[in-house]
Amino acid sequence: MHGRVKVKSTAQQEEEKRKEREKKLKVYLTVRDAIFKKRSNSELDEEALQLTQQLLASNPDFATLWNYRREILLQLETVKEEEEMQKLYETELLFIESCLKVNPKSYGSWYHRGWVASRLLRPDWQRELGLCDRCLSLDDRNFHCWDYRRLVVKVSGVSVEQELQFTDRLIGSNFSNYSSWHYRSTLLPLLHPQPASDPASACQKHTHTHTPPTVSPQMHGHRVCEEQLLKEYELVQNAVFTDPNDQSAWFYYRWLLGRAEREELISCVYVSREGERVAVAFSKPVNVVSLMLVLDGQPQQVEWRSVHPRLRHSPVWLCELPPGSISDINNEHNLTVHWPEKHTHRDCALYTGRMESWCRESATDQELFRSELSVEKTSVLQSELQSCTQLLELEPQNKWCLLTIILLMRALDPLGHEKETLTHFQMLKEVDPMRSSYYSDLCSKFMIENTILKMEYAEVRVFSLSDKNLSTLCHLDQLLLVTHINLCSNQLVKLPLQFAMLHCLEVLEADDNAIENLDGLYNLPKLEEVSLKNNQISKISDLSPLATCPKLTRLDLRGNPVTKTADIQAELAELLPSLTDLLL
Amino acid sequence: MGTQIKDVVIKPDAPNTLLLEKHADYIAAYGSKKDDYEYTLSEYLRMSGIYWGLTVMDLMSQLHRMNRDEIIDFIKASQHECGGISASVGHDPHLLYTLSAVQGRLDAVDVDKAVQFVLSCMNFDGGFGCRPGSESHAGQIYCCTGFLSITGQLQQVNADLLGWWLCERQLPSGGLNGRPEKVRHPHTLTDFITSLPTFIYTVGIESLGTPGEIDTRFSFCAVATLALLGRLDAVDVDKAVQFVLSCMNFDGGFGCRPGSESHAGQIYCCTGFLSITGQLQQVNADLLGWWLCERQLPSGGLNGRPEKLPDVCYSWWVLAALKIISRIHWIDKAKLRTFILACQDEETGGFADRPGDMVDPFHTLFGVAGLSLLGDEQIKAVNPVFCMPEEVLQRIGLHTDLLT
Ligand SMILES: [Zn+2]
Repeated sequence: MHGRVKVKSTAQQEEEKRKEREKKLKVYLTVRDAIFKKRSNSELDEEALQLTQQLLASNPDFATLWNYRREILLQLETVKEEEEMQKLYETELLFIESCLKVNPKSYGSWYHRGWVASRLLRPDWQRELGLCDRCLSLDDRNFHCWDYRRLVVKVSGVSVEQELQFTDRLIGSNFSNYSSWHYRSTLLPLLHPQPASDPASACQKHTHTHTPPTVSPQMHGHRVCEEQLLKEYELVQNAVFTDPNDQSAWFYYRWLLGRAEREELISCVYVSREGERVAVAFSKPVNVVSLMLVLDGQPQQVEWRSVHPRLRHSPVWLCELPPGSISDINNEHNLTVHWPEKHTHRDCALYTGRMESWCRESATDQELFRSELSVEKTSVLQSELQSCTQLLELEPQNKWCLLTIILLMRALDPLGHEKETLTHFQMLKEVDPMRSSYYSDLCSKFMIENTILKMEYAEVRVFSLSDKNLSTLCHLDQLLLVTHINLCSNQLVKLPLQFAMLHCLEVLEADDNAIENLDGLYNLPKLEEVSLKNNQISKISDLSPLATCPKLTRLDLRGNPVTKTADIQAELAELLPSLTDLLL
Repeated sequence: MGTQIKDVVIKPDAPNTLLLEKHADYIAAYGSKKDDYEYTLSEYLRMSGIYWGLTVMDLMSQLHRMNRDEIIDFIKASQHECGGISASVGHDPHLLYTLSAVQGRLDAVDVDKAVQFVLSCMNFDGGFGCRPGSESHAGQIYCCTGFLSITGQLQQVNADLLGWWLCERQLPSGGLNGRPEKVRHPHTLTDFITSLPTFIYTVGIESLGTPGEIDTRFSFCAVATLALLGRLDAVDVDKAVQFVLSCMNFDGGFGCRPGSESHAGQIYCCTGFLSITGQLQQVNADLLGWWLCERQLPSGGLNGRPEKLPDVCYSWWVLAALKIISRIHWIDKAKLRTFILACQDEETGGFADRPGDMVDPFHTLFGVAGLSLLGDEQIKAVNPVFCMPEEVLQRIGLHTDLLT
C-alpha cells in the first residue's frame, strides 16, 4: 500500500501486464486452494511446507500461512529425529531470510524467525545478531529489525554495556540515526542509574543483563547519573556541530536537559474556617478519593472531590469538614492529611484568631522548574550554552539550536535570561512558522513559571501576568493560594477547567483577551469580582459556570458579543442573582 | 554538510479541492475486480478493507452508495468453500470477519438469518479455537465491532461469544514455547471479564522475553472493542495500563513493546488506549506534542517518525493523537490540508500515501478522516479515538475522554 508510484502506460503495455497478472493469479489461486484443502484435511506434511513457501515468498503478510507452517513443524517434531529437525529449522531460517530480503518489514516473517530461532536444538544467536547487522546496514531505521535485535540480545544475554558500545558504533558512523539515539536512551539509565537519594553522588555502574525493566525507565525518574550525563553532552555536541539540522541528536539533547519527574507528594494543605473547607494540592494530577483526614487526632468522615467534575485526575482535591468542626475562631486545630497509597502525609495548624491557614512544601525554583544538575556542575551547562551560542552564530536560522539555547538558559537562570528567551522565541516563530502555536504555548508556560518564581520570592498572593502574549494557562495548581490574578492583554481563548484550582481567588481581571469559554470559573467560593472586558463571550450560556461562584458581586462584560443579547439584564439577574454590579 | 530533509514537492497542478464524489465512486467500485492479482494478494486484510470502506463512506454521508450486491456476492463466495460462512476462505479466524461483514451490510432480515447461521456455526467450529494469537486479529475484531456500530447492528453481537473469542486470542499462544496448550474457554461473560486483565498482563510480560506478536496496538484494540460493547466498566485494566506505560520513551512517544522506538501509529494506539481507560494524565503531553508536531514537513504532510517521508495515513495517526492530547493547534492545519488534498487521484478517486502514488481504501479513509479532524464541514465529524463517526458513538452512548 505504500510507495507505489502510479505510472502511465499505453494500452498495449496495459494488455501485456493484464495477461501477466492473469497468469500469476491463476498460479496463485491454484496453490492457495491446494493449501487450504490440505489444511482442512489436517495434512501436516512437507508438501504443505513447499506450497506455503511458494506463496509466502511473494506475500509474507499472509499470516495464516505462517500459522500453518508452525503447526506443520510442530507435528514434524513429533516424528523426526532431533538432528533432522535441526536441519529443517536451519532451512526454514534460510527461507525466512529470503522473505526478509523481499520484504524486510513484514510482521509475519520477523515473528516466525523468532519462533524458529528459539525452536533450534542449538540456537545460534550470533548468527541472528549478524543478520540484524546486515539488515540494519541496509536500513538503519527498520524497527522490526531493531525489535528483533532487542529480543535476541535479551535471550542470548548480551550485556547492556556491549549494547551501549553498539550504539556508540552506529552513532559514530552516522549521527543521524534516531533509532540508535532512542536505543541509547533506554540503555543509559540501566547502566548508569542516578542514585535515588543523592543526585550528585558518584555514578554506580550496573551491569544488567537479564533484568529487563518492567516499567519504562521514562516512567520512574528515567535519569542518568551526573558523570555520565556530562559525557553524553559531549557526544551530542559532536553530533550537532557535525550536522546542525539533524533532529535526532537534538531530541536526545532535550531529553538530557529534562528534569526528573517530581515525586508524588502532597505539596500543600489549605484550610479555611469559612465553609470549613480543606484543599489539598499534589505534585501531579492524581485521583485520591481514598485520602484520609485527621482533625485534632480524630479521623474525619469527609467526601473528597476533584476541583471540577470533568477532571477525574486533578492536582487539587477538596472536601468540607463536618459542620461546626472548625468554625469557632477561638479554637486552635491541627489537621493531618494522609495519603495511604503513597505512605505520605502533611500537617497543617490553624491558630486561634486566624480565618485560614496553609502548610506547603518549600519548593525552590531548582526543584520546581529547573534542570536537576547540581550547582557545581552549572559551569558545564554554562559551557554548553556557550557552544550552542557559537553554533547559532554559524547557523542563525537553526531552530533546534535556538530552542536548545532557551532550554539551557532556563536550566541555568530562568529569571536572569528572561529577556533573551523572549527574543529567541520571537526568532523561532519566524524561522519555523509552522510550529508557531507550539512556541507560543511553550513561551507562555515559561512566562508563567517565571511569574510563579517571582511570586514565591515576594511571598505574595497576587499573580500578575498582563501583556505577556500568553496563549495558554498552565501550572494553575501552583496558584491555589492566589487571591488576585491579572491576565489582561494576552491571547487567551479560554479559562480551562484547571482554573477551578484557584480556590482562594477573589478578584479576576482578564480584559483584552479572546476568551470565549469560562468553564474553569467553577465553584470558586471566594470569587467576588470578575472583569472580562473586550473578550469573545457570545452567549448567556457561556456565563453559566459563574453561577457556581456564590460570592460574585461584580461582573464587567463590556466589549463582548454577549452584551448584544436581548434581555441580557433580566437573564443575568436570573442566572447570577448575587450580582450587584453588572457592567455591559 | 547537512541533512537533506526527506519530503515531497507538491506540484502546482495537484488537486486542491475535495473530490468527494470521486472518492465515493472509488470506494463503491473497489473490489469489483475480484479476478485482479493485486486484489487477491490483499485477501488477508479483506475485512479491514471493508471496514475502511464503510467508515469512509459513512463519513462522506455516502453509506447508501455501498454496493450491497457486491458484498452479498463476497459473502456468497465465502460460503461455498467451507460449507458455512467464512470470510476470506481458508484464512484464520474468519468467523467474526464474516459476522461483521454480514451484519455490516445487510438489512435486518438477512442479518438475522446470517447471525443465526454464524452463531450456530460457532457452536461446532473448533477451528477458531487454537490459532496462535496475533495482533492483527484483535485489530480485526475492533474493525468488526467498529463497523457494526456504524451500521447500527452492534446489538447483534453476542457479547459473551465475542468475549470468549477475544480472550482466546489474547491468551499466550502455545506456539511460543512450542507446546500448543489448550486454553481455558470461559463460557460466560463474567469469566471473560475477570480473566481479561490477568491476560493482558501476561501478554505484556510474555512479550518481554519471547517473540510475541503482541504489542500496544493489541492493547488498544482490546479496550476499544470492550468499550464499544459497553463492557469496559467491569474490567480492572490497571495492569494493561502498566504495560502500555512501560512502552513510553524518552521522547514522550510509545513503541510496540517496551524498548521499541516511538512510532506515530503506536502513539495513536497508546493515547487512544489511555483515553479509553481514563489515564491520559499519564502522558507527558508537552513533550509528546512537540515530537508529534515536529512530524510536519515543509510540504505540510506528516511523517510517522523522524527522517521519514510524509504519508497521508499519518495525517490520521499523528493528528488523532494530537487531538486526544488537546494539542492539534500545534501543527499548521492549512498546509496539512493542502498536502492531503494533493494526495487525491483526480482520475480514479481515492487517496494515495503521497502525491502521485497508487490510491487504496486505507489511505482514502485516513485522508478523509484527517480532513474531518481538520474541521472540513463536508465530512461528518470523526471521533479521534475510535476513528468512527461521532454520531455513531453518540448513538451507542459512548463518551470519549480527551486531555483537558
Ligand atoms: Zn501510509
